[in-house]
Amino acid sequence: MGRGELLDRCQQAVRMTTDLGADQAEAYAESIDKLVARAEKSDLQIFKGQMETAIGVRAFIGGQCGFASTNRLDQLDAVCRDAIALARISPEDPHNVLPEPQEIAPIASLRDEAALTLTAESAIEYAASMLREAEKMDGRLIVNVASFNSSLRDSAVANSLGIGAEQSDSSFIYGVVATARDGDRVSNFDEQVCATRYIREIDVVRPVRRACENALASLDAEKGESFVGSVILAPGAVADILVRAVLFQISATNALNGSTRWKDSIGEAVAVAELTLLDDGHLDGGYASCAFDREGSPRRQLPLIEGGMLRAHIHNAYSSHATGAANTGNASGTAQSPPGIDTTNVIIAPGRQTSEALIADVEQGLLAQRFSGNVDPISGDFSGAVKAARLIRHGRLDRPVSGTMIAGNVFDILNHISGISSDREQILSQTLPFVRLENVSVSA
Amino acid sequence: MLKLLESLASSSSTWIELRYHARHSKRLVVRNGRVEETSSSEQTGVGIRAFVDGAFGFASTSDLTRSGISRAADVARSAARAFAVAKRQRIERLARATLARGNFPLETEDPLQDHTLDEKLALIVRLERQVRNEHELVVSSAVSYEEMIDEKAIATSDGAAFTLHSTRPGLRILAVAGKEGKQAYFLETIGVTGGWSDLFRARQPEEQVRRAVRLAVDQLEASAPTGGVAQVILDPDLVSVLAHEAIGHNVEADIVLGGAATADKLNQRVASEKVTLRDSGMSVLKPNAVGLMPVDDEGIPNEGTTIIENGILRSYLHNRETAGHFDVAPTGNARANTYQDEPLVRMTNTYIEPGVTPLEEMVASMADGYLLRGFSQTGQADSNGEFMFGVKEAWRVQDGHQTELVRGVTISGNAFETLLSVDAVGDSFDWEYPAGYCGKGQAAKVDGGGPFIRCRLTIGGSQEGANG
Repeated sequence: MGRGELLDRCQQAVRMTTDLGADQAEAYAESIDKLVARAEKSDLQIFKGQMETAIGVRAFIGGQCGFASTNRLDQLDAVCRDAIALARISPEDPHNVLPEPQEIAPIASLRDEAALTLTAESAIEYAASMLREAEKMDGRLIVNVASFNSSLRDSAVANSLGIGAEQSDSSFIYGVVATARDGDRVSNFDEQVCATRYIREIDVVRPVRRACENALASLDAEKGESFVGSVILAPGAVADILVRAVLFQISATNALNGSTRWKDSIGEAVAVAELTLLDDGHLDGGYASCAFDREGSPRRQLPLIEGGMLRAHIHNAYSSHATGAANTGNASGTAQSPPGIDTTNVIIAPGRQTSEALIADVEQGLLAQRFSGNVDPISGDFSGAVKAARLIRHGRLDRPVSGTMIAGNVFDILNHISGISSDREQILSQTLPFVRLENVSVSA
Repeated sequence: MLKLLESLASSSSTWIELRYHARHSKRLVVRNGRVEETSSSEQTGVGIRAFVDGAFGFASTSDLTRSGISRAADVARSAARAFAVAKRQRIERLARATLARGNFPLETEDPLQDHTLDEKLALIVRLERQVRNEHELVVSSAVSYEEMIDEKAIATSDGAAFTLHSTRPGLRILAVAGKEGKQAYFLETIGVTGGWSDLFRARQPEEQVRRAVRLAVDQLEASAPTGGVAQVILDPDLVSVLAHEAIGHNVEADIVLGGAATADKLNQRVASEKVTLRDSGMSVLKPNAVGLMPVDDEGIPNEGTTIIENGILRSYLHNRETAGHFDVAPTGNARANTYQDEPLVRMTNTYIEPGVTPLEEMVASMADGYLLRGFSQTGQADSNGEFMFGVKEAWRVQDGHQTELVRGVTISGNAFETLLSVDAVGDSFDWEYPAGYCGKGQAAKVDGGGPFIRCRLTIGGSQEGANG
């Protein structure tokens, strides 16, 4: 189902819902056409073609709100009735509101037209080339999974206050999970995933090499050392520990729920002055970019932490109305769920030193590529194992280590960051640097 | 629908599997006194898998007409042919088996459909109010209810033709406590395959609320543990996670073929002789396991597989493809999440069988260690058996007595080394897989369980002088 038709269906659903007795209504629809080529156990496993259109309807009766969705567009009447029935059992909440229409600046470049002609054979070839690349590197490598996913998506939203918007995009996600086996020795697995909107940017070799190098290195890993000292988090570990806890704190939903310590901290220092973190839903070509959010409000660039100071929480229509803050266009979700709040493209601004220079300054420490553990975003406590980790001695990378755990508190270590790298990596929708922390507890 | 699928399957020139799947979901969320969500979702379609020239192709459609399903079947067959050309090693055969025919309805005396959404919403509104009123230090609260009703009709060109019906309700209770700038939370989850009253058979939700609040409040004052290797007692919740995440995935035959640590270990000792570990689509020992599934999505009955018997690795878990590769009978572990997914080798209800030692005896004979309860739903296990899991509730045990609560505990180790260190297996049993979901490219409702077990592993904690 194409763009124009999708918006028509949304507007039809809005009319039906109000005709059936709702005061206000909203409909959001998505049509997704996917090709998936997947390899397992170092051989091609399955090819899938998937196509689905779904619509989600919110009905508002006074301050009551109900949501229903379906992938059967021939049952639009039933889903509108369900949304109304669910609204009727819900108590009144004065903040259940729809956003007013605002001007939406288009993003021209989110659909790669070449993707419309991508064939099954091309998708299979991308997956097969990942296997060949791993095979060339080392005979001990096993590609547990290599997958190539292509997705063409049309989305549309309409509401009874006059919002009507639609967009088309393409995306390609590809990645690999690799292990190495040498006799009885089995490495940790390593997973690398890349995403882009454009066929021309697809580079299946890069994630394969990275995953295979990490898997091979962990074959030789031995037990680490216990100490308190410097830990450098690679971008993957920054995402796992720091970004996860910070994003929980900046969500207005969590602030409204009383589960954040940063509820009243806008304008206060929450991290070292070198840390600047943005959310940019309108980024040209960004993997999480869209001209409008799940409710039809415009996406924008929003500084969240600037020079260590908390600048904003992210909002949708509900939280904006409940707090009196501006709607930041961060309503999130699919056609099969009611709107929530989420970030889009998350970017940490680059620091002044290269990652090599960050390592060179460390006398004794640890470099962690990944983190597998517990991060409590409420208390900030984290504890868990580091993966693809290496010791640092006298400013140089030393031997790989396994069975090593780190622990601490995110909100404390945000104030003990001693360096942010100028080089950054993109992990799906996040652009992140290496971050050096001090006084971290390392147990082996 | 089954007749239509059977007709299409029987006229197919190649092996084909057609799976109609309708999922009806409902979700109610109450947070901080506000009804945050009342929602319903319908997802219906047919997933089709074709096997041509030693390769699989898959396509799905939400068009339920004969012509719509036929078109998707053509896509699946074309995809299989394209894949067969590119594949290095073609699949030689699918294992033969007696395939299911007939109807497999859910048996419950109290169907979810007999209870209105008003009634369900009234319960969670009351429970959420109880969370807020239970203690003055509660600063945030949420209770949610979810139900998933699945109807399937499956036909294959080699003779399977059956329908499956299941209903799975679940409840989550969150309490966040705060004091002097510090916050701590506790999340309690309950889930079953069954009807409305089955959800409350093992424990009353009011008790779960009291426990969630008490532990959230107690964690505020808890100290962090000291990191290092320790003797621990794991409760059925953590035993289920160990059985599922750290052992179970490594005996899924597709993972084994991918180089898991269990490859070439059949009939070798991988655990203490006190350990027997099974996976079963039936709800053995106690009723209403979340992963109840008498027949898998390929039509193979799942009556249970002994994976580890008295410490010896006896079997992997199979679908028809991997069983064909290993030349064994399929174990009924092929499962697909929605109509858009192809069946993968998945666990159902994975558990360690109970032994003979009462919990009190395990604690009394422990000089220094921890009694650990509950999985915090964070962690990871690796194909070499290494794991790391977060713990909800950790009690220090000293000189045979449970003493102080400690916070932020994680456990790690190698699953097989951990099972080799088991020196006591409890005499009780509970289904306790806390999330009820497993992720392996697709979600799947699963369960896990066991008794308390005592073993040795690494506790993650702080070294002196660190931040936090």
